[in-house]
Amino acid sequence: MFSEKAKKHADACRFCWMCRHLCPVQLVTGKETNTPRAKGLQVSMLERGMTMDKDCARTMYECLLCGACTNDCATGFDPLIFIREARTQANVLDLVPPGVQKVIDRVLETGNVYGAKVPKVSFEGIPAAGETLVWLGATARYAVPETVEALFAILKKAGVAFAALPDEPASGAALGDLLGFVEDVRQQAKQAAEAIARSGAKRVIVLDSYDAALMRHEYPEWGIELPEVVTATAFADCLIRDGRLTPKQTEGVVTYHDGSRLARDLDEHEPARNILKAMGYDLHEMWQNRRLAKCCGTAVAGQYMPEIARKVAENRWNDVRRTDAKLLVAACPQSTEALAAAVPEGYAYSDLFVLLNEHL
Amino acid sequence: MERRAFMNDMVRSELEDAVGVENVSVAVSDRMTYGVDYFWVGRMWADRGQVPPMPDWIVRPGSSEEVSKVLKIANYYKIPVHIWGGGSGSQGGALPMAGGIMMDMKRMSHLIELDEVSRTITAEAGMIFQQLEWYANEKGYSCQHIPSCLTCGTIGGALGHRGIGIMSTKYGKIDDMCISMEVVLPNGDIINTLPVPKHAAGPDLNQIFIGSEGTLGVITKATFKLFEQPENRQFRAFLFPDMHSGYMAGRDLMQKVKPSILRFYDEAESGSIIKKILGFEKPGCFMNLAVEGIKKIVDIEMEIILEIAAKWGGQDLGSEYGEKWYENRITFFYPGHIMDIPQMFGTMDTVATYANIEKIYWAMKKAVNENFPFVRYISHSSHWYEWGCMNYTRFIVDPKDVPQDPEEAIRLHNQIWNVGVRAAMENGGVINDHHGIGLKLSRLMKEQYGPAMQVTEGLKKALDPNGILNPYKLGL
Repeated sequence: MFSEKAKKHADACRFCWMCRHLCPVQLVTGKETNTPRAKGLQVSMLERGMTMDKDCARTMYECLLCGACTNDCATGFDPLIFIREARTQANVLDLVPPGVQKVIDRVLETGNVYGAKVPKVSFEGIPAAGETLVWLGATARYAVPETVEALFAILKKAGVAFAALPDEPASGAALGDLLGFVEDVRQQAKQAAEAIARSGAKRVIVLDSYDAALMRHEYPEWGIELPEVVTATAFADCLIRDGRLTPKQTEGVVTYHDGSRLARDLDEHEPARNILKAMGYDLHEMWQNRRLAKCCGTAVAGQYMPEIARKVAENRWNDVRRTDAKLLVAACPQSTEALAAAVPEGYAYSDLFVLLNEHL
Repeated sequence: MERRAFMNDMVRSELEDAVGVENVSVAVSDRMTYGVDYFWVGRMWADRGQVPPMPDWIVRPGSSEEVSKVLKIANYYKIPVHIWGGGSGSQGGALPMAGGIMMDMKRMSHLIELDEVSRTITAEAGMIFQQLEWYANEKGYSCQHIPSCLTCGTIGGALGHRGIGIMSTKYGKIDDMCISMEVVLPNGDIINTLPVPKHAAGPDLNQIFIGSEGTLGVITKATFKLFEQPENRQFRAFLFPDMHSGYMAGRDLMQKVKPSILRFYDEAESGSIIKKILGFEKPGCFMNLAVEGIKKIVDIEMEIILEIAAKWGGQDLGSEYGEKWYENRITFFYPGHIMDIPQMFGTMDTVATYANIEKIYWAMKKAVNENFPFVRYISHSSHWYEWGCMNYTRFIVDPKDVPQDPEEAIRLHNQIWNVGVRAAMENGGVINDHHGIGLKLSRLMKEQYGPAMQVTEGLKKALDPNGILNPYKLGL
């Protein structure tokens, strides 16, 4: 039923309690089943005669795949491996919760979790081919278009010639989170790579860290070749350091949320901080920052378990409230969607690119 | 009393009314996860594909008032109630051996107050202790309760089994650190212990509920001491010629200074450590310690420590090992490092006065080795007091010697425990130092206490006349 790799990781995690304090879902639901240990135990018991049922399948979807547990493991075990495979099994056994199935259907039909067909972004004057391609991702295109407008404006102000795809296909990241890394996901990835190849890009600037992580890690494993992949944050940081952008100076205290995939999968922490400092902000860190950061709730989970996703976002805001910053900034569109929807009274949220564009 | 037909559904509706529909579960896959904690027997049972012990209902209260409502329902129907925090206990203390209600406390995980004037911190008892420690750290303080299960166990769990952390020798056990608690009694009454550091207003109610392992009430909130983070911490390691000199050096140290960490290993456990430090094998018993606080004081304490260690023949091995050990102190507990199924293993920790502790070490070793020659036996002492210390004694059975039949495996496991713990008790030690009693040692509580057991039994009868709270645990 499960791969040998998944079984090995589940058998290691089933009797290990060490990372439960980091699970953002467990922290807001308090459910034992929302711990990596419990999910590992369930998978190990499925391999020992227990039958997967709808409750077990539901449990496997009550996870943001944020990797806080994986990052914590001193011996390199990774609950995400068996949780993804359990989602694949739930799909094979027709046990996917109805709310999740709706989102899967939308991704299969439209390529995005929102079921949207027309992006909210204007591509007027932006070519669809060029050496530098900006890859936006579904959340930026359909849910938080202001991040795209800001990134486009920043690149123009820096004199960067760039292209973007009005009909950008899915990267496979959302479907990979919903179904595990099945063939459908690889097909989406191939189509994305083909679209990138058609654009003639020699460099891809990726705005959504979920897409960037998949392109950087899984694409090569699947034999899918891409040009150089650069995150938008790292690229913008370079533009400032190279003197192509000179942000206006401001005063104020800000705190920064590290997106899970940016911080843990891509191991990128400093570019966003450099950008904030270049604007003159005084950065006051939350206790859980960089690789230890709590997840924001994610756009994908926000579609199929909105209450839990919102509580996760509110819990991250609780971390903000214990700093003396009134402004929270994040650099991933999925973080922007989740955190901007849960701003407490007296606080403000800004996407990093929106903020940077305001300072140019 | 047996519940038939749709009676369970009737109870479920009442529980849902008390805590909310979304906070009650009867799903098999949910209930199954509560049937395995850190206890070797539960783990082995699950590993062999056996059905774990399961509660009938999982209930997740969000407030003390909801805990109260659940206990009133349970009392009316005389339904067993088990309390689950992190589920990381090694003694089977949280396992739902009698079915009934499993009260998972982790929804109650809010910080209530960090009082910088009094230097205390108060939180709900379902909070994972690491979270509490981080709240303290954010303000420059520490609770200094740093057990191996820091990231796994809850506040209630630490209090419930009378836990301890690696810094205990300076800062104390959890029962020294807790100032006051809110407890929900089995009848649903919500009570508070006195909110002061010490008092003369009769017996300390804290000490009735701390270590009661969920048999006398449900701890719902607790206030702990905060300590300023130490300005300076210095490590030092020594190699003593034998167990006796190490124990005596430890005693003399404890009479004069307060190390935060003091770990002393028997020869069996010292061997590999010594080889790592010196690069060659050398017989002896290894000690690693740390002193911390204001640097001027720490410097003086370290001078005294060096004098005492030299007096007892301790070879100074410098500070490098301790610093590395501290950096990696939790790594050992991740899978792949720590003992795990299919091995059989257990930690028979005991505590005694200095007059008895070495005698206990040899008596337990002899008893276990003679009765079970295939068992490996290692020990160290990691929590010290002015008048005695503990032994953290581990037994390990290699997979080839573990019976394949799960019931036979349980029998062997319990026989080893009986022999080891009885050897400790017969020589002046006690049944357990800091892991608690739980299901694992419940049967030996009356041997430990004799007629004194009637005190705990009397409390149980008075507070929980229907015997609903955590049956089969703590000898009650």
